[in-house]
Amino acid sequence: MQQSTKMNRAITHLFLIIFTGMTLLPVALVLRKAVSPGKAFELTINPIPSKVTSEHFREVIGKTSSDGKWLFGRQLLNSTLIALGTTLLGVFLAATAAYAFSRFRFPGRNGGMMAFLVVQMFPATLLMIPMYVILSKLGLLNSILGLIFVYSTTAIPFCVWMLKGYFDTIPKELEEAALIDGASRIRIFYTIVLPLARPALAVTALFSFMTAWNEYILAATFLNREESYTLPVLLNSYVGEHGSANWGAFAAGAVLVSIPIVALFYALQKHLVSGLTAGGVKG
Amino acid sequence: MKRKHITGALLTALFAGSAVAISAAAVYLSALNSGEKAIIESPARAYAAALALRVAKDASPPTAQTALAAVTQNAKALEHISVVVEPRSTKYRFLRKRRFLAANDAKRVGAVLNKQSPLDKRLYDAASSVRSAGKPLLELRSPQDSNLTVLAAAPVMREGKHYATAIVITAPKAPPVPAPAWPLFACGLALFAFALLAALFAPRLRHVLVLLGVIGMSGFSWWWTSGVSAAYTANLTHTLAGLQRTLGTSGSLDALSASPSPWALIIGIPLALVISLLALFGVGRRMAASMAEHRLAYTLLIPAGLGMALLVLLPFVYGLALGFFNHQHGEYNFVGLKNFVEILSGGDRPLSHPLNFYFTLGVTVLWTAVNVFLHVTIGLALALVLKDPLLRFKGIYRALLILPWAMPNYITALIWKGMFHYQYGAVNHVLEIVGLEKVSWFSSFSTAFIANVTTNTWLGFPFMMVVALGALQSIPGDVYEAAAVDGAPRHKVFFHITLPLLRPALYPAIVLGSIWTFNMFNIIYLVSAGAPNGSSDILITEAYRWAFQRGDRYGLAAAYALIIFVVLFFYSKIANRLSRVSEDG
Repeated sequence: MQQSTKMNRAITHLFLIIFTGMTLLPVALVLRKAVSPGKAFELTINPIPSKVTSEHFREVIGKTSSDGKWLFGRQLLNSTLIALGTTLLGVFLAATAAYAFSRFRFPGRNGGMMAFLVVQMFPATLLMIPMYVILSKLGLLNSILGLIFVYSTTAIPFCVWMLKGYFDTIPKELEEAALIDGASRIRIFYTIVLPLARPALAVTALFSFMTAWNEYILAATFLNREESYTLPVLLNSYVGEHGSANWGAFAAGAVLVSIPIVALFYALQKHLVSGLTAGGVKG
Repeated sequence: MKRKHITGALLTALFAGSAVAISAAAVYLSALNSGEKAIIESPARAYAAALALRVAKDASPPTAQTALAAVTQNAKALEHISVVVEPRSTKYRFLRKRRFLAANDAKRVGAVLNKQSPLDKRLYDAASSVRSAGKPLLELRSPQDSNLTVLAAAPVMREGKHYATAIVITAPKAPPVPAPAWPLFACGLALFAFALLAALFAPRLRHVLVLLGVIGMSGFSWWWTSGVSAAYTANLTHTLAGLQRTLGTSGSLDALSASPSPWALIIGIPLALVISLLALFGVGRRMAASMAEHRLAYTLLIPAGLGMALLVLLPFVYGLALGFFNHQHGEYNFVGLKNFVEILSGGDRPLSHPLNFYFTLGVTVLWTAVNVFLHVTIGLALALVLKDPLLRFKGIYRALLILPWAMPNYITALIWKGMFHYQYGAVNHVLEIVGLEKVSWFSSFSTAFIANVTTNTWLGFPFMMVVALGALQSIPGDVYEAAAVDGAPRHKVFFHITLPLLRPALYPAIVLGSIWTFNMFNIIYLVSAGAPNGSSDILITEAYRWAFQRGDRYGLAAAYALIIFVVLFFYSKIANRLSRVSEDG
């Protein structure tokens, strides 16, 4: 009995190690490429670099425009502002809407929630043409604000559903007690519900941030000046269809772009399970 | 008078008013956005385009006389119309100048364009632009002088070569087109008054009166639209008549005969009808009551609702309308259901052709099913392994296994594209080590499909794993204890206890996951890019290609998008019903 349990454990660990290894391999290869010299992707699965260089990082970070402006700094700033703006706006919009859906029974509630689900099904890539027209009418092409609006509205449906599911699990009695004590609904929302929903808010914020930080195709369409690009657009230019691919610079850029998002992801991941499943089970 | 009635009346009126506003907007759009704006506003543009088309069709370029006659005939209406002939030689410097073949200023005929004069400079630039564009251009604005806007410039071809350019600069004011604003506004006011009075004095009659208003308004929209059409047609006929007189030819100009009116008919009237019907059935009154009752709820919804309306709903409606138009070479033509027919009939391609809709649909369904199956199985398997509370390092395993989820997915896609590279890719390297042949991944459908699925599976299993882990933790332990006491075998425990208890959590994740996968643009677009020959494309990348890579066919792409939407909508409806059935049962 003891023997077989140990065997089982060992097999489990072996399975997990192999699987994790396979999962990590592509990432390891990118890390390797980022620090090894040369532009081409190498034929190897050995993740340990034979020669270490920082040339790719220097190339990506030090990139300047034709008139000598520091591009990487500008683009990093764009990406950061857009992602933060989207997070703030997205979470605010989603939290208020989700609270309304969770706590109030009003005509149009089911229809509204259905609408929030249905819009997920319309292919976003094809909303691009009309969105482009609308943004240009509003004078928001090539601007940070325009992308913030677009990203937060694309992130809202998912966030609303998730937050609504979480709000549902917060007992109503708490709010009722506060109501009896004479607190206003808005005050209850800010001082009781939001603090209790922190895990779900964290996940929502993470999701909005990731949407904005990682998005490529809309950014590439709505931005046409190099200094207003976001990082994904920059990154794709290294291995884009024109000219020869520079995998070295791409890998270095990929590492730089991924680090903040991966770090954030891990910082918030313990909320992820509770936030997601609460939304999932009740949704 | 009860306050409730007043609010109800106001809201009903608001409904009716917005219906009018929408149809007004649609009618106005019909004038602006149909691509025929130019012609409605100014016969000059039509003239230039028509001249060029006529000449191109005949393949006989105007002689100096006919061109001159054409210009002088129209000179009263058009201030500067010229036909600028291309240089005769690119070889000799002195012959490399553009000359006037015809102009309404008779003195200038035959003269060389003087680039010092602002007018000639504009003409010269316009001729260059048209030459490089190879098609008629409208509204080339001058950065310096707004009076020198080129309204229309069109190429005149001779023996397949760009021979001359017909250019029209600054035409007089357009002939009056019925103004869209005031009659509709008046109509809206009337409806508003109707509803208000009805609600105040005759609550029972309100429905009838609103209905009367709606019928009146629809009739009015119809009349107004046909008025626009008539004005448009008259305008065009006048221009064509002048043209035919001068060139001595007859015949219709197909490209110019599309009417702008369908916009109003498609969007305006149905929408107005729907909204007004809502008003009719007392939605306004009920909304007033519920709005007062649930003021806070609606207030909380307003910010998100506004954003969604502007940036999701509006583009959606626009896309919907676009599906009924054909866009080619910068022009929109109303084609009714032709786009849908072209897609759903397979477009005369055999079923095995990659561009046949049913082929792509099959690939998309296969793609979604395989991916979701792999995501769920792998995710669930890992979750079951990691669930064990006695397992060591499980935090580390979990943290490492969710890395693919954290990575931006376009980066993932590009990495895997590199890994599947025939010559340098790691995947082929592994195959070589194992002693297998290298595979050219993107040259056959099955291997390209496998490459896409591999990438997407790598990307997607962590989500299912996390969802399954969370759901597993919420299953109370005593259920398993009871099963253990009864001595139930493992597989039975899994199929009869774990799986049924997981279902409510997994169901929404699976539905959501399949919607995401169905529309997973990045992976297909970046990894296989549809290779070979578009066979590994799914519906959404196919639509994207029609819109941006195969001749800007926005209408066809919009029709594709609509079909995708309908498929997903019914899928989620069915899934919803199934989940309800399974919950009840």
